[in-house]
Amino acid sequence: MIWTGPPSLRGVGRFVETRRLLSLVLIGALVWSVASVGWGDGVIHTGGSDALKAFILGLFPPEISPDFLKVVVAATWQTLVHAVAAITLAIVVGLPLGIVASGALGSPGRARLAVAGTFRFGLAVMRSIHELVWAMLFVTAFGLSSIAVVLAIAIPYAGILGRIYSELLNDVPDAPLAGLRSSGASPARVLLYGRIPMVFTDILGYTFYRFECALRAAAIMSFVGIRGLGFEIQMSLHDLRFNEVWTLLLVLVGLVLLVDYWSGRVRRNIQS
Amino acid sequence: MKLPSERRISFVKGSFYGFLVLTVISWIYILAGSESGIEDFLSGRAWRNAGGFLKQLIGIDDSLTGGAQLAFLDLGRWIETAKLAYQTLLMSVLAISLAGVAVLLTFLPAARNVSNGDLGGMPLPALGVLYHLLRFIFAFTRAVPELVWAMLIVFFLSPGVLPGAIALALHNYGIVGRLSAEVVENMDPGPARSLRSAGASNLQMLAYGIIPQTMPQFLTYLLYRWEVVIRTTVVVGFVNAGGLGREFRLSLSFFQYTDVALLIMWYLILVVAVDVLSTVLRKMIRVD
Repeated sequence: MIWTGPPSLRGVGRFVETRRLLSLVLIGALVWSVASVGWGDGVIHTGGSDALKAFILGLFPPEISPDFLKVVVAATWQTLVHAVAAITLAIVVGLPLGIVASGALGSPGRARLAVAGTFRFGLAVMRSIHELVWAMLFVTAFGLSSIAVVLAIAIPYAGILGRIYSELLNDVPDAPLAGLRSSGASPARVLLYGRIPMVFTDILGYTFYRFECALRAAAIMSFVGIRGLGFEIQMSLHDLRFNEVWTLLLVLVGLVLLVDYWSGRVRRNIQS
Repeated sequence: MKLPSERRISFVKGSFYGFLVLTVISWIYILAGSESGIEDFLSGRAWRNAGGFLKQLIGIDDSLTGGAQLAFLDLGRWIETAKLAYQTLLMSVLAISLAGVAVLLTFLPAARNVSNGDLGGMPLPALGVLYHLLRFIFAFTRAVPELVWAMLIVFFLSPGVLPGAIALALHNYGIVGRLSAEVVENMDPGPARSLRSAGASNLQMLAYGIIPQTMPQFLTYLLYRWEVVIRTTVVVGFVNAGGLGREFRLSLSFFQYTDVALLIMWYLILVVAVDVLSTVLRKMIRVD
């Protein structure tokens, strides 16, 4: 797309110049990062290769005894429950914030710009801290509880969803909206009958993707002590039971792929 | 007998109600559970704890530190932790570099129109197998969270920047690999086909027909992922993978809360710096 189109004659010099600088920066970053690793002082630690071998052999076969599967089902349910609660809270908070941040409501002017800018900054602050860092702070502040974990995931996710929603709502082509406006629709109606329907599948697709991420986030909340798939992975790793680790990993992968498949099917059915 | 369109609508409706039911059950399960913590929130105990923690974080309440200097007002501590911030930045760049190189080496056979010979070349059965294998590897590496990769990798590799970077690289390899393969699948086949009919070799087709169309999008994805990776470096640091994350966890468990505040400040500085840098580089990609 970008490199194939004939650049405007005046821009050729700038194009080549920018490309060259960009390549230099990217290759420089690659070389710097690879060279800065202390390759000399033992990358694989003592016994590391034996552990790797044991880990790979653990796949044949993964642990499937009924007792352990009961543990797996309970852990999967915990993770799913936290992910669903977190993503629903994130949608409920992120959607209104995103709509205000997109500046689609209210009459054009400086006040609207200021409000939208403030909300955008707020969303940026929410998403700049990783969910597990939020979780560690919340567990220290509120104590260990499901609510603290759900809040820890929902805050950065509301920030991300809000940003994406506001960008999607902003990038809508203006012609159909102008039609609505000329027939006397208020900004709220333009939003409801114009903007939202036009980007609905994109919104849905991104929200589904975030739900998939929320599953992963809920799984790693084990790190602050909440039970779930990550917690069991940690326990099994600690006891060097690698075949159990594999079972848990495969269930986590299956869960994520299931959500991915569900999302694709829903979107295809809406679009066609 | 239902019409196909009716079946589609009922699938979407069913999904919607299914998710609604799941939501209600999840919230009831959490709020009714013994470790929900809802009583603490309602009785105000959680909020009082949080207020106390916040005071210790910003140093108003110095009962834990015994009146020692606040870490984030101490230039010496800033200089000491600068090394950790540097390591964190290095880890993020290394992770994205490793992921980028791995994707560059594998994204072509993972595109359906390349593996089935649609863009020229031979539709060998081996390519079909390779296509499915790569798609599975993308899905697997993507579905396992970075922190879990890191927990596994510190079993094999010495602690430091490298295991963290590899953990981040594996997860992002799956994400960027899939997106890049989809870019190839959705690209305009015209240039590649014209090159083929003009007698270009496979290598020439790659260089002039495929790479120029896909490279900008690939680099854009990579830079977007860099913005995410810098936020996650702290998390893989929790499992002895070096950088700010390890120090953050230690400070938190030793109740050195003003140190925690200092590390959060470093973290935010890195996040903002990477966001700005990534935006500048992405603008450079789009120059024409």
